[in-house]
Amino acid sequence: MDPMIYFYILVGLPLVASPIVYLTGRLSIRRGGVLGISLARALTIFFLLVEMGLLALVLQSAIQTGSVYMAVGEVTLLFDGIGFLMAAVVLVLGLMVALFSVPYMTDERNEEKFFALLLITIGSIIGLVMSFDLFNLWVWFEVMAISTYFLVAFYNEQSASLEAGVKYLVQSAVGSALVLFGIAILFAQTGTTDMQSIWMLTPETGKLSALGGMLLIVGFGVKTAIVPLHTWLPDAHSQAPSGISAMLSGIVIEAGMVAMLRSLSLMGKITVPWGAVLLGFGCLNILVGNLMALRQKQVKRLLAYSSVAQVGYMLLGFGFSLQFSLMDGASGGFFHLITHAMMKGLAFLAAGALLYALYLSKGEHSPLMIDDLNGASRKYPLVAFALSAAVLGLGGLPPFAGFMSKWQILAAGVETQNTLMIIIVIFAGLNSVLSLAYYAPIVNHMYRREVSSAVEAGNRIPWLMVVPLVIFTLAIVIVGVWPSSMIFITQNAGYSLLYTFFN
Amino acid sequence: MTPILVALSIGIPWLGALVVWLIGDQHERWQHWLAIVFSAAAGVVAILLIPGASSDTALLIPIGGIFGDFAFVADGMGIFLSIIATVIGCLAIVFSMSYMKGEAQLGRYYAFVLFFIGAMVGLVLTSNLLLVFVFWEITALCSYALIAFHNDDPKAVRGGIKALIITSIGGVGLLVGALLVYALTGTTDMQTFLSAAGSLPKNLLAVLAFGFLAAAAAKSAQFPFQTWLPDAMEAPSPISALIHAATMVNAGVYLLARFYPAFKDVPYWREAVMVVGVLSALLAAVMALTSYDLKRVLAYSTVSQLGYMVYAIGTGHVFFSQFHLFSHSIFKALLFLGAGAVIHSVGTRDMREMGGVGKKLPIVKWVFIIGALALSGIPILNGFWSKELILEGGLKGGPVWLYIVMLIVAGLTALYTARCVWLVFFGEPRSEYHAHPAGIPMLVALVPLAAAALVNWLGVGRFSLLMGEKTLPFHAIEAFGLKDMLHEVLSIPTLIALVVIGLGILLWFLRDKLEGVTNGLRSIRWAAEKSFGFEAINSAVVSVTHSIAEAVRRTQTGLLGWNVVGIVLTVIVLFAILILGA
Repeated sequence: MDPMIYFYILVGLPLVASPIVYLTGRLSIRRGGVLGISLARALTIFFLLVEMGLLALVLQSAIQTGSVYMAVGEVTLLFDGIGFLMAAVVLVLGLMVALFSVPYMTDERNEEKFFALLLITIGSIIGLVMSFDLFNLWVWFEVMAISTYFLVAFYNEQSASLEAGVKYLVQSAVGSALVLFGIAILFAQTGTTDMQSIWMLTPETGKLSALGGMLLIVGFGVKTAIVPLHTWLPDAHSQAPSGISAMLSGIVIEAGMVAMLRSLSLMGKITVPWGAVLLGFGCLNILVGNLMALRQKQVKRLLAYSSVAQVGYMLLGFGFSLQFSLMDGASGGFFHLITHAMMKGLAFLAAGALLYALYLSKGEHSPLMIDDLNGASRKYPLVAFALSAAVLGLGGLPPFAGFMSKWQILAAGVETQNTLMIIIVIFAGLNSVLSLAYYAPIVNHMYRREVSSAVEAGNRIPWLMVVPLVIFTLAIVIVGVWPSSMIFITQNAGYSLLYTFFN
Repeated sequence: MTPILVALSIGIPWLGALVVWLIGDQHERWQHWLAIVFSAAAGVVAILLIPGASSDTALLIPIGGIFGDFAFVADGMGIFLSIIATVIGCLAIVFSMSYMKGEAQLGRYYAFVLFFIGAMVGLVLTSNLLLVFVFWEITALCSYALIAFHNDDPKAVRGGIKALIITSIGGVGLLVGALLVYALTGTTDMQTFLSAAGSLPKNLLAVLAFGFLAAAAAKSAQFPFQTWLPDAMEAPSPISALIHAATMVNAGVYLLARFYPAFKDVPYWREAVMVVGVLSALLAAVMALTSYDLKRVLAYSTVSQLGYMVYAIGTGHVFFSQFHLFSHSIFKALLFLGAGAVIHSVGTRDMREMGGVGKKLPIVKWVFIIGALALSGIPILNGFWSKELILEGGLKGGPVWLYIVMLIVAGLTALYTARCVWLVFFGEPRSEYHAHPAGIPMLVALVPLAAAALVNWLGVGRFSLLMGEKTLPFHAIEAFGLKDMLHEVLSIPTLIALVVIGLGILLWFLRDKLEGVTNGLRSIRWAAEKSFGFEAINSAVVSVTHSIAEAVRRTQTGLLGWNVVGIVLTVIVLFAILILGA
């Protein structure tokens, strides 16, 4: 079969599958019974597995033939290292979230819409990371944004969820508007929206193009949650259903970051220190994220601010690589993307499992507080262990994966042998220690002997929710002791980034 | 053979951790016995490494890229510390069989202890700086988990998190140093670094040297990071014996000893090391003198003795510091386990409520006294030989006034030790306590340690050969047999030291007559009780951080209008930077 076909299907299947899943799910509403919705869930998982298979096939043909692309008119979609990495992460995370959400979303209002929206989100992210045309990138970006608006405000009877959704929508829209301005400026300057052409046509002192680039950074930056554009994140990530929180923190904000990096790579020739800009935002993210998380008493809000800080680490890695042409920085940034997706995904899913057992399964929409975790290990040992592993891994402790990715990023910083960079590395290291101050107490609360009233009255956790937790826990330990297992993926992604930026 | 032994010495404790955890807390007896078997096996494996000691790479797991190769070298320093970690670990676990009997969540306890033992062995046997840091952080994780074992006790949790944070802050020094080695030499291999150290740029080498010193000081609870160790005493006593006396806190001394050849020529580094050691020794000795908590006295004593080891490295006598490490691990573990037996029996840690315990726990009294004599430096116990060697070395390798301070600290050591022994074991009971006798497992753990404290110094010659040039090519440690030791030690400075020590002990017994003097020193007592301001600094740092965090919270207004203002402001600021930059 023509390898391009696999690529077409990879990009297009989720968008086709989504309405099928939705309609199948509606059968339950119209006809009653659970057949329709069960079929919808099964179809979702089936389609995701098919996507993973397609991804493997596309990868294989990319290795064999060298390049896999799809051209529709003037718009090109290209399969490169970054595309593969993001597609792999979104599919794995998406599959785990889908599995987790089957019991989690059972009997919720609008349940049939949930899986359909999830498929659109996943599909749009895959499309986003494959696009090499600015306007096309924006379209995929908007599709992703719109699907996530609905998912964030999913519990549309809860005022807190609605508020979170509205804030997310408005701020995201402002960001999108800025992105459009930036694209318009670049189009005016160069006459094309194709990324590779823009790179070649942009002169070294393109002032106006630099302005366009800056607008793109801020516009995509709203979605990436760089400080001070992050204010929508704590509400959105804590109010969304837990599987969606995992998706948001694990891949959606990273998709925004990849969009930002792709658009930055157009500016490679301009003599503006883009890497330094990323470094500045990175440091700000790490500091603000950590300080805010320190004061949180709600588990999901704490994890949301933690995401802000972790994005800061990724920005540091990319900043080092773009400013000093270092492979390790880009490779480390992408490695941290992978490990963060696993660990934050695990953290949100584990917290979600506890939230389900303690509140949601009884129909309550109260937030999960840290004090509610008291003694959780006595009743839910596996989930407590999973959450502990996730949280300590996020704090950068070995033998979990988060340590290895942070190591690679900080190594890149020291490799520059530049005093200011080394100071930034020390700053990042100290912040990692600071983060332990809010991660460690979570573990302590869970391993108390005295059980909180919420845990005492908690229901059991369905086994289907525990399966993704076990898989992710094993994954973060394996990657933690065998970091080079991801080298193939991260090196290729890093190479793609540097290639598009510098030549 | 050696590669397999190295793998086993780390793998057996780790496998044991998994097994004990999975067996489940309902099978308590199985957990105790399995833990003992696994740690004993690890001890045997570690001892079996001795014949194969060499500076060649024993085990290599290629990983690639920036992570280098996971390499392990079974050299003298590594094997020595592995044996200490595993053997004393085994004894602490045996002790736990009685001390932790009937405790809940025992699986978590033993799993972390075994995980820790494996990590400690890995730390000293690896030759890859990335792995040194990995194992360093794993030991910090285990230490935190075990200090805060009783999660319901807020003091324990606070102590655990404090230990984790302070040692991790120092760990940043090790992190940056290891990354600098990678940046400068292209690899994280320690042997490459040690041979190339002379040719590295001087300013970066200095950053490395002081970074490592900071990491070592934090891990070994030296000045100015000593505050976490006394609060770590909330841990169960076997943990205090194993982690906070005999092994983990030695990791800092190990780091300094291991990298001494690379750093010894960095300007002011050796002086800084000496000052850190001396300050720690002095301040901690004074704080031990004013504390009434039995375990805190021993904790301060640990800080003080580690100060001796650090000081010895500063004066250029790495072998003497390792020899004192050997003695100290034995007698301090002995003292902590003995204290544990007392506390478990009597039910309190406050020495003011004890007194006359020796009548109820005679064996514990005698082994504790042996440990106390070793700590004070009374001949012929191991502490005497190693402490005198350090003092002799200090006289030759460092400024005289530092030597005099260390001499005085030796006297203070004898004083607070005599005070401790007297208050606990002698005199009349000062409160209504009910002392039940120590269990057999406790005695099984205590007696071998006491015996070792009496005789382990006889092996000094073998010990020096183990650390000689064959296995540690960069350290130039010469053979040092019994004859050499006797020659060193039987000298005037030793006599003076013995007089000072004797004076220390005498001062305790004359305390009633010296009431005037002790009243005059009231202000020092007050300062010591306030830990010379270091606790205040710690609390200040914590509260300032929290205040800043609260202030930053105000930026999260929750109002959509302000959020959008934030976005617009960012555009304006970046625009301004762009214009100005151009």
